[in-house]
Amino acid sequence: MNDPQLASTSTTLFNAALVTYIVAMVATFFRLAYTRVRPAGVLASPTTVGTRVGYAATALTVAGAALHAGSIGTRWAAAGRVPWANMYEYSSIVAFLAIVAGLALVQGKFGYGHLMGFVLFPAILMMVVATMLYTEPGPVQPALDTYWIKIHTAGAMTASSIFMVAFAATALYLVKDIAERRVAGSSTAFGGSTVGAASVAGTLERPEGFVGEEPLDQVEASPAAQREVLSPVLFPVVPAVVTAAFVMLVWRSPVGALAAGSVMALAGIATWYAVPYLPPAAKLDALAYRTTAFAFPIWTFAVLAGAVWAEEAWGRYWGWDPKETGSFFTWVIYAAYLHARSTRGWRGQRAAWVAVGGFAALMVTYFMVNLWIVGLHSYAGV
Amino acid sequence: MTDLATPASGGMAPAGPAGPAGASPAPRPPAIPGPLDVLRVAWRRLRRMSTALALLFAVAAAAIVGTFVPQEGISPAVGDWRSGAAGPGAGAARVMDALDLFGIFSSWWFLALVVLLFTSLTGCLLPRYRAFARVVRRPPAGGRNLRRLAEHHELTTAAEPEEVLAAARRVLRRTPLRRYRLRVLAPGESPTGHAQLAAERGHWREGGSLCFHTAFYVLLLGAVIGQSFGFTGQVNLVEGQTKTDARLTYQSSTVGRFFALDDHPGFALTLDDHDVTYYDDGGEGAVRTPTVRAYRSEISLTDPGGGVTVAQTRVNHPVRHDGMTIYQARSGYAAHLVLREKATGEPVADTVIPLGAAAGLPNTWSGQEKLSLGGRFQSDDGGTAELPQMALDMLLFPSAPTVVETAAGPTPVGSSPELGEPLRRGSLYLGDLGLEQARPLSAIREAWTPDQRVDDVDLAVGESVAVVGGLYTLELAGVDQWSGFQVSHQPGRLLLLAGAVLVLVGLVPSLYAYRRRIWVDVRSSDDGSEGSTVVLAGVALQRQQVFAEELDSLHHALAGALPAAPPERPVT
Repeated sequence: MNDPQLASTSTTLFNAALVTYIVAMVATFFRLAYTRVRPAGVLASPTTVGTRVGYAATALTVAGAALHAGSIGTRWAAAGRVPWANMYEYSSIVAFLAIVAGLALVQGKFGYGHLMGFVLFPAILMMVVATMLYTEPGPVQPALDTYWIKIHTAGAMTASSIFMVAFAATALYLVKDIAERRVAGSSTAFGGSTVGAASVAGTLERPEGFVGEEPLDQVEASPAAQREVLSPVLFPVVPAVVTAAFVMLVWRSPVGALAAGSVMALAGIATWYAVPYLPPAAKLDALAYRTTAFAFPIWTFAVLAGAVWAEEAWGRYWGWDPKETGSFFTWVIYAAYLHARSTRGWRGQRAAWVAVGGFAALMVTYFMVNLWIVGLHSYAGV
Repeated sequence: MTDLATPASGGMAPAGPAGPAGASPAPRPPAIPGPLDVLRVAWRRLRRMSTALALLFAVAAAAIVGTFVPQEGISPAVGDWRSGAAGPGAGAARVMDALDLFGIFSSWWFLALVVLLFTSLTGCLLPRYRAFARVVRRPPAGGRNLRRLAEHHELTTAAEPEEVLAAARRVLRRTPLRRYRLRVLAPGESPTGHAQLAAERGHWREGGSLCFHTAFYVLLLGAVIGQSFGFTGQVNLVEGQTKTDARLTYQSSTVGRFFALDDHPGFALTLDDHDVTYYDDGGEGAVRTPTVRAYRSEISLTDPGGGVTVAQTRVNHPVRHDGMTIYQARSGYAAHLVLREKATGEPVADTVIPLGAAAGLPNTWSGQEKLSLGGRFQSDDGGTAELPQMALDMLLFPSAPTVVETAAGPTPVGSSPELGEPLRRGSLYLGDLGLEQARPLSAIREAWTPDQRVDDVDLAVGESVAVVGGLYTLELAGVDQWSGFQVSHQPGRLLLLAGAVLVLVGLVPSLYAYRRRIWVDVRSSDDGSEGSTVVLAGVALQRQQVFAEELDSLHHALAGALPAAPPERPVT
């Protein structure tokens, strides 16, 4: 039932995967730095070095995912039940699925391999949080001992991981859109305007527009122009301060706050540096929308399956338990995002901020409700 | 923001509904809008997507508050918040109470939000139903100016127009999941003057969206039916005990407005056996706290007619019987105690006391029991005797207790939750204990004082000891288990399930299907020779990139299905 040998193998594999992901993330950002931006500014192509590093980064990501899969598999064997019955296991799998979704969607389907660093980063954070919530594998209480854990929880994990990828795309879209608009606003040269997704969409009936309306030519003054319009101070400082304050508030650990703040500062400065190499805002918006639209029905399914399970286990399908309420408001905010994208006056950045709110709601529902609030889902805590 | 948001500034009332500003000979609008106008404007505002968005945000905000502020009946912390022991303090809690923040989801303002949201939804949906019904019945229209479309392909072929159209028809219907609706237009009918095949698909996008949104009415109806016609009661039974399904049997119940007393099927529920099994985890130390593997209750259901059904309920495995669902909800130990008069051996009290898990103490169950309400009695010699109230406060350790350090000092706790050699540790209280109050004993117990405690006894099963100065004996006759059930009647369940299925069935196509039209326009070659020129063009309302790929692949399929044009022919 509970095999300590297998459990420790699982932990070793987890740590190996974490290290591999970190190296892969550094490599992806390295590749981003070794990129040429064409004068037209639309697409960035890596230099020879950048290409090689890019291949290595992909190989490392895949290797990390393989190690991670091994960690999850051994954990499964060690616990003798599905490996997603507590927060450590759940966080680990969400990180794993986010990376798989990143490889499949961002790198595979959309061809933005150079953006994988932005998918790896939140996944790595999720894994770090998972290690802080580590629990030995053990049996589960009767309420969880049913096939519904396979349906409801698997759905919630899949949706959360894709929402995570969508959040990365949304954040990048916001940054790129702001940069494009500022460059367009400051540029006096004829035709020197870049067009954000929102301004394209604004002229059309629907956000995705009608065929026949080619996106306007994208002309960038210079790759660095988009960087110059964004503050190199705010980018690292804001996430660092917010994160450090959060860590201080929750854990009251100055060292932790400093460490987390520094990591976020690095991520912020990397984002600032990467702005010119990002795909045009319109494409990032499409990526953000498609991934959110992919995750939303899965989340809907997970919430509904949870209601069916609750009916069977607790004798009521919906009781406004904190977790139920949390998953409901997450759902409502993402639903609002999907509606906002087809509402005049809401397209573009405003809708994207709603999506950011949706992801924040998801994280609140996952972490805060499990760790701070006592409810029927409290057994899932730690 | 839109044409309707005419500001009522400068004392001017907004113009009548949708009156175009420039309509010249229109009569002057009344200075004060009539109630009908106000209603009409309100209705139009409610129908706007931005209104719907605002309502969605309001619902989300309410739900966020409802997550972090404890809710009555869900979180035990409400009392602490009200008294100021937790949360922002008693003063703030009074304000929050006035705003119904401890019961958001049953508050009038949340109800109002839901009503507004559904009204807005109705306003949005009605015209969309009408438009959809019209659009979906219309056959695909012919296309003109096809070469101007962003997505178009041209090819020439040796085939005659009829063959081309037949081939195009096959290509457009080649996969069963991507079937286009087709319409053949004769040269006289089509806008281009050539034979044309018009194809259209993707109505599922709007249809799915309508289905998704309509599903919420089904969910609402299911919830309302469940609330009005439903019943939920809680009942605890000790092994061997029987209780009949009737309103008064239940310790607590929520009864729908339209669930009448006669609606109870009235079966008798007997707990034949209840057992709890454990995993072998939970540590090797003096105090084991293993994880429960299963709570299992063997029950018999005796119908008023006499028919008996035997069933087993476990967590996640409720039993459905005669319109009621019986859920395994709670579990615990029960102590069987007998109090006898020492002189005569006559039992004064013979009672099985269900015990609850003691808060904060592992493997320990606690409970209280009234033994005598006391009062004034006629004594044998003709006088009156005042008898005190008598009650027991007890702890039960299912297996031998060990002492552990807790915040309250050294405290005995059970070494394992499994039944070994159970020990009951009880205190007998005598005096004015307030037992006549209609409050739970656990609450009354708070007021008992140490000087009312007359005896502390430890009892193993089968043992009896003398209490109250040798007047009585108290015996622990046995330790049983009790099981708590929830018995529910939920009439809206299947409707809710149907609503949930409709939500998903509608949601997926509403996000993934996309409206597109394709035209295959075939013109006989200009020079009168054999063969024809084909224009394959299309337009998509959404997902243009995917559509471009689809049209590309259709182009290849069509080209492959047609004989190539003779090489010497010039391409026109």
